[in-house]
Amino acid sequence: MIAPGHPRSIGKHVPRREDPYLLRGEGRFLDDIAEPKDTLFLSFAMSPHAHARILAIRTDAARALPGVVDVYTAEDMARLVKPIRTVIEIQGYRASSRTVLAQGEVRFVGEHVAVVVAEDPYIAQDAAELIEVDYEPLPAAVRLEEADSETAPLVHEDIPRNVMFEAAFASPDFQSAFQSAETIVSETFRTGRVAGVPLEPRGCLALLDHVADSLLFYTSTQIPHLARTALSEILDFPEPRIRVVTPEVGGGFGTKAQFYTEEVVTAALALNLRRPIKWVQDRREELLTSIHARDHIYRLEAAIDAQGRIKALRTDLTTNAGAYSSYPFGCTLEATGGARMIVGPYDIRNYAFRTRAIATHTCPSGAYRGVAQPSCFMAIEGLMDRIGRKLGIDPATVRQRNLIRNEQLPYTNVLGVRYDTGSYEECLRRALERIDYWNFRKQQAEARDDDEVLRGIGICCFTEVAGAGSGGWRVRGLTKVPGFDSASIKVEPTGKVTLLVSQAAAGQGHLTTFAQVLADYLGVKVEDVFVSEGDTGTAPYGTNTFASRGAVAAGGAVIKAAQSLRQKIARIAAFLLDVDVERVELTESKAIDKENPEKSVDFRQVAQIAYSMTSVALPQGESFGLEVVEMYDPPLATWPNAVHAVVVAVDRRTAKVSIEKYVVVHDSGRLINPMIVDGQIHGGIVQGIGEALMEQIVYDEDGQMLNANLLDYLMPMALDVPRIDISHIETPSIDALGGFKGVGEGGVIGAVPAVTNAVADALAKTGANINRLPLRPSYLLREMRRQQAGMDGDRQ
Amino acid sequence: MKPAPFEFRAPTSLDGVLEELREHGEAARILAGGQSLVPLMNLRMLQPSVLVSINHCKELSYIRSEEDGLACGALARQWDVEHDRVAMERCPLLVQALHHVGARSNRNRGTVCGSLAHADPLAELPAVALALDADMIAASSAGRRVVPAREFFVGALENSLRPDEMLEAVRFPYAPARSRSCFIELGNRNHGFAIAGVALQVTFGEDGRCSRARLAVMGGENIARRATDTETALAGSVIDEAIAREAGRMTASLVDVAGDFHADAAYRRELVAVLVERALMQVASGAALNARSN
Repeated sequence: MIAPGHPRSIGKHVPRREDPYLLRGEGRFLDDIAEPKDTLFLSFAMSPHAHARILAIRTDAARALPGVVDVYTAEDMARLVKPIRTVIEIQGYRASSRTVLAQGEVRFVGEHVAVVVAEDPYIAQDAAELIEVDYEPLPAAVRLEEADSETAPLVHEDIPRNVMFEAAFASPDFQSAFQSAETIVSETFRTGRVAGVPLEPRGCLALLDHVADSLLFYTSTQIPHLARTALSEILDFPEPRIRVVTPEVGGGFGTKAQFYTEEVVTAALALNLRRPIKWVQDRREELLTSIHARDHIYRLEAAIDAQGRIKALRTDLTTNAGAYSSYPFGCTLEATGGARMIVGPYDIRNYAFRTRAIATHTCPSGAYRGVAQPSCFMAIEGLMDRIGRKLGIDPATVRQRNLIRNEQLPYTNVLGVRYDTGSYEECLRRALERIDYWNFRKQQAEARDDDEVLRGIGICCFTEVAGAGSGGWRVRGLTKVPGFDSASIKVEPTGKVTLLVSQAAAGQGHLTTFAQVLADYLGVKVEDVFVSEGDTGTAPYGTNTFASRGAVAAGGAVIKAAQSLRQKIARIAAFLLDVDVERVELTESKAIDKENPEKSVDFRQVAQIAYSMTSVALPQGESFGLEVVEMYDPPLATWPNAVHAVVVAVDRRTAKVSIEKYVVVHDSGRLINPMIVDGQIHGGIVQGIGEALMEQIVYDEDGQMLNANLLDYLMPMALDVPRIDISHIETPSIDALGGFKGVGEGGVIGAVPAVTNAVADALAKTGANINRLPLRPSYLLREMRRQQAGMDGDRQ
Repeated sequence: MKPAPFEFRAPTSLDGVLEELREHGEAARILAGGQSLVPLMNLRMLQPSVLVSINHCKELSYIRSEEDGLACGALARQWDVEHDRVAMERCPLLVQALHHVGARSNRNRGTVCGSLAHADPLAELPAVALALDADMIAASSAGRRVVPAREFFVGALENSLRPDEMLEAVRFPYAPARSRSCFIELGNRNHGFAIAGVALQVTFGEDGRCSRARLAVMGGENIARRATDTETALAGSVIDEAIAREAGRMTASLVDVAGDFHADAAYRRELVAVLVERALMQVASGAALNARSN
């Protein structure tokens, strides 16, 4: 509860504490940490083959290079570390383990086969090129469609047919509902293969601490606590002797929510050689070896009634797992996510899915912002448009008829998942209004065949699974992901407040938002709060930062901790003010007597007593200090929702897409800092525009990645991004403390389907069926020409 | 992204640079702005054993209006040429093309001669040099020679300089009176490498007919190409929609295009046709920049 008299910080555009130092170039990222003089550097030798047997590795030439300290192969590393084994306790999952350097066989281009330790990073790379490996190339299963077959080469001998995970579900009445419907609308959607591509690639620096029996490990990660536990187990080194510190992290987007082989190697070699070891990834390595995502095929069938209502929906989802299960989310995250989230904000009572993750000889896939939601909403929202086209009903109307209505909330969906609150109808209504939807449709109907551009409008209504607690992760079998987060508050003897949070930001502005939450719930001035996180040596344990969970999970922990500490502050203040504790209210770093507001003591005076630094003794029965740690386990999930609506113009002759209008109506519950929330949405939309229009990791048929550089892996730049009109609806969560719902991924989830639908809508009158990403001009024009040729053929 | 070992030289005079080239030949590379060379070295796709920086040779840093054209020395930065008054008035096609070269920060450092010598198939400046018949001035310790642009560009990332030569300067002829020009390109995103592009300069007669068209296109596999057949076909015509469309079609049938994962060959070819047509219509409609009449 927030004191009524306390001026609110939550909901305000509080300037970010992070901005001044970042804008001045003073952010300290991994490579800005000055390494000790005796630091050694790593360079990995990478496989040039997608699939090959390793016959021999000769390291003599590399070792002979002056400045090289040592070269390690899989056999050497096996003496130091265990393989990484991703345990997922879910039916249909086939575990695979991965050695940190390839042993016997390589399974994707870029997989590490040896590592050089040298005195400087240049020598390390020179030496890596001198390592000679004899390979016996083997047939590779590169493309998802090819790997998913009886005759495909196997990625792992013990995983038949390359099926790493499969699951199925059908609601009780699915069959009868599906069969009794009048019309079936079906479509296959194919999404592109993309990656998070943080501006700062990964890297780590491992050193023995001053007593030389412990490991200080700096790493550019989103999951310091989980990384520490994993390191301890894989290195067989006591967890208390490992301290993981995340410096400033230059973007994560889920790419850094995985624990990687290079982190194990760096730490293991520091312990083995008893020298500081540093490894900094370059862009090519980043694109070849950091997790990829969203190589998905959705086959949807909807049984609908004459009004366009979905009576039953069937999803068949195939995802590309890559060569190994990444850690800790494995290969199931996208497969379970896409199949489970696709029902979204719609009242679909009969549902069935089959979902599978297929191993291929490509880079492992993992959690990238939005996980499977940009793709599953591209599929269901694409289907909504097709239902409209088939029945001649406007697609916005089709959505209105299928949405969960306000009076149905709280709503338990067909999978048993509870949506506590939401604003599905209101978001759509407002988005249509702001983009002037019905007028657009009128103008579109008047468009002429000789217009230079084709205009289209696209909508995406979606829910975002956010803030998942322990239950949410257990349901998906991810037992190495705890689900709770924690906060430790210390009111220091001077009355200023230290807040340690179990999170690790990668640009989200945590140092500002958590200070705002604490300020309101503890009754302290926001400028008196100092937030710190990302250091396992000081911060309490938690699940860390991914899956839009920071505000919900750690925000809740801050609230719980504040509520518990304010009791003690109030008791000491009551003793000083000589009033009943019920009369004490904490506001603006003071404790006041509610009935006589001039009477107050400030936090400093209370702290002086708590820390025994004044002549007044601590009241009897109180303990020393003003500290508390609280864990908070959020609900199964919170459910932000939003609608994106987009108008595009497609050049009829070049098929180039321009985004003319972009509207977002977003509900992520209670907003902590609207400026930061808007920033999250903007950033997500930029990534979504990239995924929809241009981004694509390209492997050739031999499994060579053709665009492992930013010249050829195209990401959007400022000129590709339209003005974005955002408005908010705030429907607080009733299941999560504080009412926060999370906002990390909504931007990208909404953008991919909305942009795709807008382009598909623009091209619909040419007859082209746009159902795969990315929407590059050459693909769009090819589809338009194909239709033209077909029509010309019909005429003849 | 660490370059292979190399020796670094930074002579302070052109003679010093040419002496290094004489000594090291093919093993040496010239470093000017480094906007293409340095990334390629970091990727180890290029591994020169001697890197000869010309950045301390003040004598190469000039933009000069000479009698028969605008001369850019090997150190003339793209940004400076783009904003040079004479260039803007008398070589508008060059200035228009420069707007598309890299980003502003690249142009601050990158040089006009460097981009030409690098000869990337999708670079803008080779198309301009070809269209305008620029003079490429090659220097070696044995002397100077002028290489016509059409003989300079041999293929993708390939020019006709001898190992002991460098591109000392380039001279772009001024646009004649009653000329208009247009440089357009289109890519998968709105900034960065194009899929295809067109450099066009048309000189009109007093009767409004096209008296001379200069046209070069780029589109993938090979270096930019001059479309002389289209130029001939356009001479004497009044450029209208039908003529422009036919010129586009004709040009597309003349050029080398290659499909890759950015765009297939059919798309590139079709795009060349559309861009040529649009460039001609811009020029014909007067929407394009006018060159100052002398």
